[in-house]
This record gives sequence, structure tokens and C-alpha cells, in this order.
Amino acid sequence: MERRHFIKGLGASLLVMQSPSFAAKALLEKTTTNPKVIWLVLRGAMDSLHTIVPTFESELPKLRPKLSTNIKDQLLMLDNGYGLHPSLINLHQWYQQKQLLPIVAVGSGYDQRSHFDGQDYLESGLKQVDHDSGWLGRLVNVQEKQALAIARSTPISLRGESSVNTWYPSKLKEADDDIYQALMNMYQDDALLTERLRSGLEVKEMTMDKSSKKQQGKFNDLAKACAQLMSGEQGADCAMLELGGWDTHNNQEKRLARQLATLDQGLATIKTGLGKDWNNTLVVVATEFGRTAKENGTGGTDHGTGSAMFLAGGAVNGGQVLGEWPGLSQQQLFEQRDLMPTTNTFSWIAAAMSQHWQLSAKQLDTVFPQVSLAKAKLIRTS
Amino acid sequence: MSIQATIAVNRFGLGARPNELAQASADPQQWLIKHLMQKPPVIFDDELPHSNEISKTLALLKMQEREEIKRAGKVSTTKSNKNNAKEKSKKYNRSLLQQFSASTVNNAISSPHSLNWRLLDFFSNHFSVSANGAFLAAMSPTLEREAIAPNLFGQFEDMLLAVTKHPAMLLYLNNEKSFGPDSRLGKKGKGLNENLAREILELHTLGVNGGYSQTDVTELAKGITGWSIANPRKDEEQGFIFRKIGHQPGPRRLLGKKYPMWGLEQGEAMLKNIARHPSTAKHLCYKLAHHFISDNPPQTLVDKLIKRWHDTKGNIKEVMITLIKAQESWQPQAAKYKTPREFFISSFRAIGANNIDTKNVFNSLLMLGQQPFNAGSPAGYGDDQSDWNGASALISRVEWASALSSRVKANAESIMKSTLGEHVSQRTYKSVLRAESRKQAFTLLLMSPEFLRR
Repeated sequence: MERRHFIKGLGASLLVMQSPSFAAKALLEKTTTNPKVIWLVLRGAMDSLHTIVPTFESELPKLRPKLSTNIKDQLLMLDNGYGLHPSLINLHQWYQQKQLLPIVAVGSGYDQRSHFDGQDYLESGLKQVDHDSGWLGRLVNVQEKQALAIARSTPISLRGESSVNTWYPSKLKEADDDIYQALMNMYQDDALLTERLRSGLEVKEMTMDKSSKKQQGKFNDLAKACAQLMSGEQGADCAMLELGGWDTHNNQEKRLARQLATLDQGLATIKTGLGKDWNNTLVVVATEFGRTAKENGTGGTDHGTGSAMFLAGGAVNGGQVLGEWPGLSQQQLFEQRDLMPTTNTFSWIAAAMSQHWQLSAKQLDTVFPQVSLAKAKLIRTS
Repeated sequence: MSIQATIAVNRFGLGARPNELAQASADPQQWLIKHLMQKPPVIFDDELPHSNEISKTLALLKMQEREEIKRAGKVSTTKSNKNNAKEKSKKYNRSLLQQFSASTVNNAISSPHSLNWRLLDFFSNHFSVSANGAFLAAMSPTLEREAIAPNLFGQFEDMLLAVTKHPAMLLYLNNEKSFGPDSRLGKKGKGLNENLAREILELHTLGVNGGYSQTDVTELAKGITGWSIANPRKDEEQGFIFRKIGHQPGPRRLLGKKYPMWGLEQGEAMLKNIARHPSTAKHLCYKLAHHFISDNPPQTLVDKLIKRWHDTKGNIKEVMITLIKAQESWQPQAAKYKTPREFFISSFRAIGANNIDTKNVFNSLLMLGQQPFNAGSPAGYGDDQSDWNGASALISRVEWASALSSRVKANAESIMKSTLGEHVSQRTYKSVLRAESRKQAFTLLLMSPEFLRR
């Protein structure tokens, strides 16, 4: 027997054995192309004032004499006087094609300045962070979707009752098939290890022929694999990706130019990889909080509050900048130092998900308790 | 053999080397406490350089690099000259990072006092530094050796001070160029950076709910302005240097306490006081119990540790003895899932190996998901089961264990006895014994539910 058939068979038999509902779901014919979701967390606090630049702000050159000057003339202009950082070439093109929707001055509701707490808050989506329950995990559960994390372990966003596949590139030589059979047998009394082995083999089967061995965890490679694992009949309905490196306390100009280019390229790779599925895809990009309005003494910015987010994809009603601009004068800043968040990140996420996946009021309440939806048409009606 | 011996070597230690289980079985608690009587707590058996040496070498290479550029003038140099100073310095940094990391792991593999190496790794992760960029690649591994290891059995406040003054930490959290706005350097345009101060309060001491405010962060940041690193080409000193002309003048107020003194003393007094703060005791004791015993440690256990912490003003050795003596630490159920690093070390300890090749150590840990000095966050690597028990991580372990099994000729049955004693399930026991080959048997042992947990 060829090895990929063997593994495939092994995964499938386990599927039936261990998780009947999951298996039944997989057996259902997918009649239409499912609306897909990609959740991308930018870890480290992206500086929104350097990403979606409010060129109309007279305060900006005063707050950031060094940081705001050099990119001023290279900005990729959007509407209402906002300009995208010059590294965001693809995103700018999408904006023109109405597939990008930037939202300014958002905040998750978390107003301390710890990365780790801020990220947990953004991922959990609950007023009181629960490290074992993420908003996407709850969503996957109520909608009975199949989810994938491009990570070595399940991130908080996807934790919850449903099982989630994780995938990360491996450079190790593959083990013999018979060892998996033996392990399966040995793990019979261990529910956790059985479940992990089963979903590990499932994902392994999906990436087996796809030259994943050469990949090393570069964002572009992860983006490529993510698109692969989402395409086709057995592809996941939603996936989570993450990109770190945004904590620009110093040398921000160079670092952000590089970071944003990586982000832009990765998202373009996802679009290419998804092919026609892109038309039905919603990508949500957010970060834990923003950075100080003023530049610091080391050519960077410190932890702040309000930031920006992106909705992107063929499903998005793009080509407009949303959000309410709070202004940058001293009294308009949060605690006189940070961009003031004027709308809540989750009000946008919940509204977008609700329109994209048709959530009932009850489902919304389970997934995003106490969140009021943003009133805007975020998803295109085809 | 008692289950206590199995727990002692696996939960507290880093897994049994051959014969260790037998040694521990007479009195497992005393056997562990004896580890804590070692002086010094850990010995790095290698000749790797001190951070001051590394700084000097890097400064020299930097100078050569500048001269090369000058000499080349406008003539474009060949693109990748393997012998130029820039390449040399890159190679030097990368090679040191790998040598340091592998040496620490090898010392932990061969040590008869693996509890001490586990404790070192705990604090190294508590004060996590990542090898971001060229300079930190070589410097980050020196923090645990120079600031943590010497204070491993001492007072927590001494460790905190040593860590905060270490070049790797100052650089990693951007304090080396943080200067008071009203200092002489501040008036020349240099500014404050509160990154280190925030992480000290949030991660190293009080904990995120420890009761501090944004004002406290800024006050501490000002208190440690001027805490910097000597420049080998300009300064006479080496390593940590206090740049008086960058220190924010004036009294500070932190967590309700006043700090009227000026200079280096001010920041030191602030750090000592936050090290003695009750929230620090709570935070550290919870983290220790969480690391050693369970993701959800019993409150009674945490309380015992906190009490001992208060009684001894934060003496790490005494708190560890309390942890070892507490009955809550010995529940038979193994509640922790080994991290990739623990899995790697305990696998080699099991077969009594020594001196694993540097590249093998480094690349294995990378592929298993825990590259040394690469947590990428000052919070360090996660310490919950869910951080490590992902599906693709499990497949990586199978692949790694299977590759190791084909290289070593191990007798799985006897290793099962010498690492886990009799405390394996019937199913595991039979699976290992009935494996189709010696190689498969050893892979199954390493991947057994009992060996994956502690």
C-alpha cells in the first residue's frame, strides 16, 4: 500500500472511532464553497499611526518629528486624507479593488499596556480573560466549522470545546507508518493523546505531498501552507495565523518598513493560494493595542492604546476607511499619551462575522457576550 | 520501588539516568534536598567566554568592519566575502549561541543533580531574554550563567538585581539607552524608554495583577535611567555601567514609597523593595508550584511556599525545600506534560548519554519547538500543558524519537524500569514489550503517556 493511502486510511478510521460528530460532518457534501475566515494576530502592538497615516493631522509632525517625515511623500493614498505605509503595495491595490477595509482608532477594551495580557484579551474576547476559551474557538463550536491553527500548539483564540488542528512545518525525517499504528493502540486509554495523534495525522496527510519539508516558519511559508490547508473540499473553514515583531521601541522606521512588507507579501500569498476561494474569504487583522502618539527617545514608540485593524478579502465591502477619528491634540489623546480608541475591535469583528457566517442572536451572545455590533455593511452581498 | 522515587527523579529532576532511581528510592525527599546543598548549585563544564570578553571581541570586529569599509572606499566590495569582519562577527555570534545552549543542555543531561538544572532553567525562563539580533545572539545565553546561577540558592532580590544589571537584559528590554528627560543627556535629546521597568513589574516581580499603575511603571523607569552597558572602545569599565549624566534627577515615588536618594542607589533601593513586596512572593511562589507540580497547583501548597518566602525574605533554596517537603507535591497523578526541552534532556538521560553534538542539540530543540533563547517574548516560553501538547508538536516528537531510536541500541524494557520504575500502565508495558523491533520499542517508551508526562 502506498504510504499516503495508509496514513489517510488511518486518519479516517480514527476519525470514525474517536469523534463521530466530527466524522459525520466531514462526510457531509459541501454543496457550496463555504465562506472562509482567516484570523491574523499581529503580536507586539503594531503602530497604527505609522501604518495608516492621518496626513490631515497637524499635530502629527509635532508629536513625531523624526518618524513622520521620511515616509510623508511616499504614502499610498486612501480616502479622507489617510495614507498607507509605502510597504503595503498589495493592500493598497486591494483597497482600490474594494477588497480592503481599514478601520482606524479601534481598541479591544483592554486599556493597560501589557503585551501578553493585551493579546490574551484580544484572543479570548471576554471581559474576564479565559485562557481556555477563545472567540474563534467559540464561534467554530456554535457553527460546527473546521478550524486550523498554523502553530505548534492551539493558541487561545481557538481554544474551546471543538477540536482544532494545528500545523507547523517540520524538518524532521518522517517516522515509519507502523509506529503510528502502535502508538494508536498504546494511547487507547488516553483521550488527549489519542485526539492529538488523530488530528496530527489528519493534517500530515493533507500536507504530505506539498514539499512542506523545506519550510522553516517564515511568515510567507506559513501563509502559503495556510492557504493550501484551507483549499479544496477537505480544507478548513477558518484558520489562525500570527506574526510577531511589532514591538518597535527603537529603530521603528526600518523595522516597520520590513514588518509591513512581510505582512503585505504574506497576505498576497494567501490570496494567490486560495485561488477562487478568495472571493468568499474574510481576513481579519488586528493587534493587541497601539503605541504612544509621541515618538520616544530611541527612534521608536512605547506601548499605547488605540490602534487600527484591517478587514480584507474578496468577501469584504472594501474601498473605504471606517472608524471615527479622535484627533491627536493633547486633550484628545487617551491619558494624554495614546491614540484614543473610539470604537471597539470586537464590535467590528462580531459584525463582520455575523454578516459573513450568518450568526443568530443566540450564537452572537455566546461568542461575543455584551458586544454591540458595529452598524455598517462590512461584507459584500453577492 | 516506591512511586515517590519515580516522582522525585521525573517531576523534580529532569528524568532518571541509569541507577538514579535506585539511589533516590531510599529517601526520595532527602535525595532531592541533598541536591540543594551543592556548592555551587550548578557547574558549567566548558570554557566559553564571559559576556565582557564577548563585548570586547565584538567591538574589535566592529572596528575592523569600519576599517574595511573605509579602505574599500567607493570601490564596491565583493558581495559575500567570507573573510570580512561582518561575516566573521555574524559567524562568531551564531556559533556562540549554539555552543552556549548546547553546553547547558549537555551539563543538564549528565548532571547527578538535575533538580538544580531544572531550577536554573525555570529562572532563566522567568527572566527570559531572546537572541534578537547579532549582539544578543552571543550575549543572551550569558545571563543565566552570570546573573542567575550564582544566586540560584540565594535571595531572590540578589538575583533580580544581578539580572537587571546584566548587559543581556539591559539590551533586550532597551534600557541601555533610556535616559531621564531632565538629565544632561536628556537635554541633548535622549529619552526615556519604559520597556524594562514595565516587564520588571509585570513579569519579574509583582505580576500583572500585583497592584501597580502606569505611574509606577514610569517612576521605576526613571529610577533606573542611566543603567547602561559599557562601550569597550570608550569606557574604562566593563559590562554594567551607571551613566550618571543620563539619570533622571529628583526623588521618586513607587508603590507609595518615597525614594529621596539619588544615583545608582535609587534604582537599587526600588528593586529591593519590589522584590520584597507581598505580590512578588505570591507571583513567584505560584509560578514555582505551577512549574513543578501542576498547571492548577493546590492553594494550600502555594500558601506554604508564600509563608516560607516571607519567613526567609525570599530565599529560593528554603522555598524549594518547603516545596519538596509538602505532601501536595507528591500526588501520584503526573499533572505536567514535558516541554520539548525536558523531553529532549530526559530522553538522553534515560540512555545515560553524554556530550551530545552541538548542532544536534540546537537543531533538535528548534524542530521540537523550543529553540533556546527564542521565546520571542520577555514572558518566556509558556508553562501550561496546552502550550506543548499540540497535534503537530506530537508528530514532531514521534519523528524525533523514532530517529533517535534508530541511532542508539537501547534496551527499552530495562530503560522503562530505570526511568519509570513499576509505574507504567499495563497497556504501555505490553506495548513496549510486544513491539515489533528494538527500535520501535524504544520509540514507544519515549512516546508513552508516562514518559511524556511527569
